[in-house]
Amino acid sequence: MKAFSNVHPAVCMTYFLSVLLVSMFVPHPVLQAEVLFGGALFCALLGGRRASFRDLGFYVPLFLMVAVTNPLFSHNGVTPLFFLNGNPVTLEAILCGISIAVTVIGVLLWCKCYSFIMTSDKFLYLFGKPIPKLSLVLSMALRFIPVYIRQSRRVSRAQKAMGLYSGKSIVDRVKNRMRVLTAMISWSLENAMETSASMKARGYGGKKRTSFFPFRFRTSDGVLLAGTIVLLAVTLAGAAAGVTDFNFYPRVGVIGNSSAAVAVYAAFGALCLLPSALEVKEAVTWNYFVSRI
Amino acid sequence: MELFRVEDLSFRYPMAEKDAVSHADFSLESGEFAVLCGPSGCGKSTLLRLLKKETAPVGDKTGRIIYGGEADVPADAGRIGFVGQNPESQIVTDKVWHELAFGLENLGVPACVIRRRVGEMANFFGIQDWFRQRTDELSGGQKQLLNLASVMVMQPELLILDEPTGQLDPIAASDFIAALRKINLELGLTVLLAEHRLEEVFPIADRVLLMEGGRILLNDCPRNIGPRLSKLDPSHPMLPAMPSAVRIWQGTDVGGECPMTVREGRDFLKRNFKSRAKSLSLPEYKHDDAVFVEMKNVWFRYGRDLPDILRGVSAKVYRGELFCILGGNGAGKTTALNVIAGLERPYRGRVNIGGKPIKEYKGGELYRRNLAFLPQDPETVFAHDNVRADMLEILETLEIPKRERDERIEKTAGELGVSHLLDRHPYDLSGGEMQKCALAKVILSEPKLLLLDEPTKGLDAWAKHGLSEILNGLKDRGLTIICVTHDIEFAAEAADRCALFFDGEFISEDTPERFFAENSFYTTAANRMARELWSNAVTCGQVIECCLSAGGKT
Amino acid sequence: MLLIGGGKNMKKLISRAIFWILIPAVVLCGALIFPAKQYAFITLCVTALSCVPFFLRFERGEADTKRLVLIAVMTALSVLGRILFTPIPGFKPVTAMAVITAMYFGAEAGFMTGALSAVISNFYFGQGPWTPFQMLSWGLLGLFAGLLSEKLKRSRVLLSVYAVISGALYSVVMDVWTVLWADGAFNASRYAALLLSALPFTAIYAVSNVVFLLIFAKPIGKTLDRLKTKYGI
Repeated sequence: MKAFSNVHPAVCMTYFLSVLLVSMFVPHPVLQAEVLFGGALFCALLGGRRASFRDLGFYVPLFLMVAVTNPLFSHNGVTPLFFLNGNPVTLEAILCGISIAVTVIGVLLWCKCYSFIMTSDKFLYLFGKPIPKLSLVLSMALRFIPVYIRQSRRVSRAQKAMGLYSGKSIVDRVKNRMRVLTAMISWSLENAMETSASMKARGYGGKKRTSFFPFRFRTSDGVLLAGTIVLLAVTLAGAAAGVTDFNFYPRVGVIGNSSAAVAVYAAFGALCLLPSALEVKEAVTWNYFVSRI
Repeated sequence: MELFRVEDLSFRYPMAEKDAVSHADFSLESGEFAVLCGPSGCGKSTLLRLLKKETAPVGDKTGRIIYGGEADVPADAGRIGFVGQNPESQIVTDKVWHELAFGLENLGVPACVIRRRVGEMANFFGIQDWFRQRTDELSGGQKQLLNLASVMVMQPELLILDEPTGQLDPIAASDFIAALRKINLELGLTVLLAEHRLEEVFPIADRVLLMEGGRILLNDCPRNIGPRLSKLDPSHPMLPAMPSAVRIWQGTDVGGECPMTVREGRDFLKRNFKSRAKSLSLPEYKHDDAVFVEMKNVWFRYGRDLPDILRGVSAKVYRGELFCILGGNGAGKTTALNVIAGLERPYRGRVNIGGKPIKEYKGGELYRRNLAFLPQDPETVFAHDNVRADMLEILETLEIPKRERDERIEKTAGELGVSHLLDRHPYDLSGGEMQKCALAKVILSEPKLLLLDEPTKGLDAWAKHGLSEILNGLKDRGLTIICVTHDIEFAAEAADRCALFFDGEFISEDTPERFFAENSFYTTAANRMARELWSNAVTCGQVIECCLSAGGKT
Repeated sequence: MLLIGGGKNMKKLISRAIFWILIPAVVLCGALIFPAKQYAFITLCVTALSCVPFFLRFERGEADTKRLVLIAVMTALSVLGRILFTPIPGFKPVTAMAVITAMYFGAEAGFMTGALSAVISNFYFGQGPWTPFQMLSWGLLGLFAGLLSEKLKRSRVLLSVYAVISGALYSVVMDVWTVLWADGAFNASRYAALLLSALPFTAIYAVSNVVFLLIFAKPIGKTLDRLKTKYGI
């Protein structure tokens, strides 16, 4: 039950681009915290608890690496804590490093959610109309890849059973993969000729093409799209008006608490939590329906 | 009403010395189900491809095709549907629904019409359950059905199929042929089918065109084909490809109406022959005393959380015998073969090869001078651009001195009858030729044990017969052969012993005659016809032999 | 007839307007809205958008079925290679495949193979802000190889040099953006550190380019020549 997966691709794409746009380019602590929290929550909902814990093993070291090394590249700031090789390590630089690290991880988390939701067929749907030829090439390549993976396993087995590779050394393994890839090249190109014959036999390259996709734009998609646009507009208006300007150098700035600033925080926070809220709502409704069966 | 007519059609590929199709003359009525058969390389494919504009090969064409009263094949891709042999390479897109819609998209049909037609077709073929699946996840049979359905959505008036069941297992093949029959009967669509599974298509065809050397030799209703062919040439290479009933009728030479199905064949035998012995007397099967391959209580699964595929398999294969493993799809017989080949490791139990546990063969030792494995797709064996280079590679790993290499290749190639193919590109070979070359390559490693996975896939009757002769030759040289197959007729002809693999283990094993005599459904067509007279006559040859020795009823 | 013609002109006009007015406007607005990260924003936009003209040109060109399928096959092969060699980080055949495609099918096909390989392989390895940079750098490597195709076909030395140089390109370009993104402006010491830390991967990548190109350029070329005579591409 992934509620967001059932949302119309165009709405999904708009949503992810909106969140990524703000999270990548508006370096404000509150918004960054919202990005990180929303991304982590959505990721956990999509990937499950176990996968999320496993990911921590990647994100925590990354966080430390980005945050800790920043003072090495940046000696701005007015509050030196100590000196390293004659260069000051400043409080501002450390805080700025943390901010960068939060952004990087937030963006990575959202990209992960994007990859999970925007599967290749949704991607193709979005680009199928403006660039039909390219999207057909993409669709074919996406079909070929799993087919090739399977065939390359067969080839690898056959080659092994002919005694063509035996050892377990890295060189031997690389050689084996190279041989498999060589065999795959002839196989795939030969088969491609049949594929192109099959395309021609079904009239490809004739008149103007239409495109068919089994996605429907529902009312709920419209509501979601409108919500996304409104929340993004509020956030961007705030950014344009300078509400979200924030500096680490020379001195760490103050987090604004004007009503405009709070409105921006609230709008973007709502935007970040939108899919998680949708998942939770869907789970609750689903449980309700299940209880009635 | 006549749908199309071919008048004196000849075709020659560029640079070729002979016509691929020569002076073909025939016509097809609207709504007819016609079968085109002939030995491989007889020009069937070329003739079929000439009938559709988009698939027509380039070359010199003379003669005419009059289609629906017009002087040439139609330019509209939707009017003639074409399905080829390879289920995999005909699929274009990554999702089932997209594949179904692909043709209509090309024709510029509006999306709302596509939705309706795709839905309708998915229903007709029972595709709705896997409508949203990825195309690469489908089974071979499903893929071929998808290819058929995605041609059918374009609502063609003629369906041309070029050996569509060649790569399918027998059950999927029967399902596919049943789907064709349904299309023909319920939608009245004209079907022109090139096929070598004649056992199944003869009873449902309206007409059979038999080709040889680019010519149409016979053009008649199926019942007359056998008699006319045997009159023309009693040792014609197409006769072994005929349905079993036809072959028995021809072999017994009693005349009368030619039977086509098992039921007719049985009636024919009962009418004309009387059994005294009730069974065929066969010499006791003698095998070598040495056990060459032994499996002891072997358990295997693909992953820790996945179900068991092999559940305590035990088996013995004696030195120098041909052991056939039969069984349905997904029963695990290929897995069993892979375990014997050392490609999969069982988590429990032992496999001994040549008296030595498989674990004790280190590095590639097992695959050098001990065991050779011919996979299901012979293409996977080749990595170079000519057969000879591929063979040299094997000799190189065996560290055979350079000067001996050519001689060895020539010798093995000579034995398998592929000497003339050595300098060809593997992908330029026909299915049967490629199979033989792949076999030649794997036995260059001088194995004592040969493992074959579905060796008859895609082969016509003639090539199958050739294969069984080759295997007999190898056996005479002392090789032990284990063969996994769906092909009951092949097992009956070639095997020394057969075993049925079911539910993760071997449930019965015996000589083919006794093995099939015990079964009542899972047996050869010849045996199903003759079992009431001679319970253990399983091949057409044995039935004919029984008939001849029993003599006529009167 | 006039109406249809008018419709066509209108469409052309709209697409031109999008190209010359709307896109620059978006980039400019973005730069104003995100003052702290304007360089990173502009770089990302320009990178992503510079692929567009190539795609449009490809869209408008002749639809030769075999060519389309071949581009798809080469793309799939390069992704397959990337998957087969995942255990060795940085060992990727993507550039090599784009270059080989370009050598035999021209600059445009090379660009497409490179750029599409980036999009598709990231369906497996994860999309991110790096996708447009990969698209552009792999695409351009294919494109230039297409322009140099005759020379590259003749000289293995030149091919190797091209492979080594192209190995460095992606990380050089990508790291500029990373620095702009992290610091809002160009920070030389961070850039140097990034390049240095990526050096082992860049080195493996350059070596893998040479290996793949030298091993595969010839057999693929031979196979393609064979198909040209057998099927008439």
